[in-house]
Amino acid sequence: MTAIEVKDLVISYRPLNNVSIQKDLFRRKKKSKPFIAVNHVSFEVEQGEILGLIGRNGSGKSTILKAIAGVFTPDSGTIDLKGQSVALLSIGVGFKPEMTGRENIYIAGLLLGFSKAAIREKEEAIVEFAEIGDFIDMPVKTYSSGMYSKLAFAITAMLETDIILIDEVLSVGDERFKKKSYEKMKELINSRERTVVVVSHSLSTLKELCSRVLWLNDGEIVKIGDTDEILEEYQKYMRK
Amino acid sequence: MRLIDDLKKYNEYTIYSAKAELKSEVVTSYLDWIWWILEPLLTMVIYVIVFGYIFKSSEPNFPVFLFIGIIMWNFFSKVINSSTTLVKSNRGIISKVYLPKYLLLVSNMYKNGYKLLFGLLVELVMMVVFRVKISPCILMAIPIFAVFFLFCFAVSTILLHFGVYVNDLSYVVSILLKFVMYLTGVFYSIENRIPGTAGMILERCNPVAFLISSMRKVMIYREMPSLLWLGIWFVFSVILSVIGIRLIYKNENSYVKVI
Repeated sequence: MTAIEVKDLVISYRPLNNVSIQKDLFRRKKKSKPFIAVNHVSFEVEQGEILGLIGRNGSGKSTILKAIAGVFTPDSGTIDLKGQSVALLSIGVGFKPEMTGRENIYIAGLLLGFSKAAIREKEEAIVEFAEIGDFIDMPVKTYSSGMYSKLAFAITAMLETDIILIDEVLSVGDERFKKKSYEKMKELINSRERTVVVVSHSLSTLKELCSRVLWLNDGEIVKIGDTDEILEEYQKYMRK
Repeated sequence: MRLIDDLKKYNEYTIYSAKAELKSEVVTSYLDWIWWILEPLLTMVIYVIVFGYIFKSSEPNFPVFLFIGIIMWNFFSKVINSSTTLVKSNRGIISKVYLPKYLLLVSNMYKNGYKLLFGLLVELVMMVVFRVKISPCILMAIPIFAVFFLFCFAVSTILLHFGVYVNDLSYVVSILLKFVMYLTGVFYSIENRIPGTAGMILERCNPVAFLISSMRKVMIYREMPSLLWLGIWFVFSVILSVIGIRLIYKNENSYVKVI
């Protein structure tokens, strides 16, 4: 069964869109060319599959993840998730800094489409997994960056959505937490029903986790296929 | 309609987020939520001294008259002022999950509405203390508030959208608000101070002024507001809201790319 169906996806950014009145008044407006981040990309992900995305910085990996998460809709093309719930796990995730960690758990959960009751059930597990102790009732802005990402990881890991999108966060916190989160991640993504898309620059991680890999360059698919095969070619390409 | 579905779907979020924000606002101050009452009360005291005694431009039941104006103006200016930066200040959330962006506004209005509610309770207490006689006209306060909220929402949707693209809009808006405040009659009665057509125009064509003075009429002076103008501003707000929400729905995806 197909879990994610991406068809002819195009996403562009308009880099000069942010104007200030002063600049606008005194300078003739430059025509900004849209920067095409993802260019006619189509692929499918089977249910329970773990797909890895590789490519250089700026090749459109994170943009694709964000589009699948629904953060922005494509300029053209479609993304069909077959009505499944989806969560994006990335570095520097969305917290409200003035609110406590606990409140942010609820905010994140509610936005991911969970009910308050469902979050309450998971609340303790999240707090425990995050290992940030009493800081959970302190405003998030007082957190260290490690605590920040630990909580973020715990929320996404515990509130189990049908599809998990991981953007380069397989190394969170200190050595011990890194190991623990890696184990948890493996447990999560090894479940039969869960579909996962991982963006990572670590080839060894991808090799261990993924069943298939999609190689992107400048917003276009170079190749998609068997993990070992693609990674080998990618390595060769990068060495050039 | 998509708007109703979204409001329902994210209802729990908007309320929770408003609550949490209220909480985080007071948690660091000693007097907690008392500030929500104290702030307008103290402003009122200042106005009573300055305008009641120094400028001798008092109205019957001046403190009650001032207080309702202050809390309504506070609501309006806070909602309008924050709407321009709302998307940017929630960057963390909207770059992670999808959320219809005007819901940030709804949540913000809940938050300020809660404070307004507190103020209204104080207003009622003051009405008892000053022995303000009431009449059935006071029931009109409900439709007046409805139009008031709708108008605030409508203007904010437009500002929310342009605030994303125009960096200095927040400065422009805060200066405009200051200007409008003096024209709105927060601390004087437009009708009594600016007699004739000029006053009429000032009061009718500025919806905030109109709504505040209507509210004073029904709550303190046992008079009916102009139903015609209430209707006009209602229709205006509905149309503006529809335009604003359409604008946001159409453009919200590029917000993330800009901020």
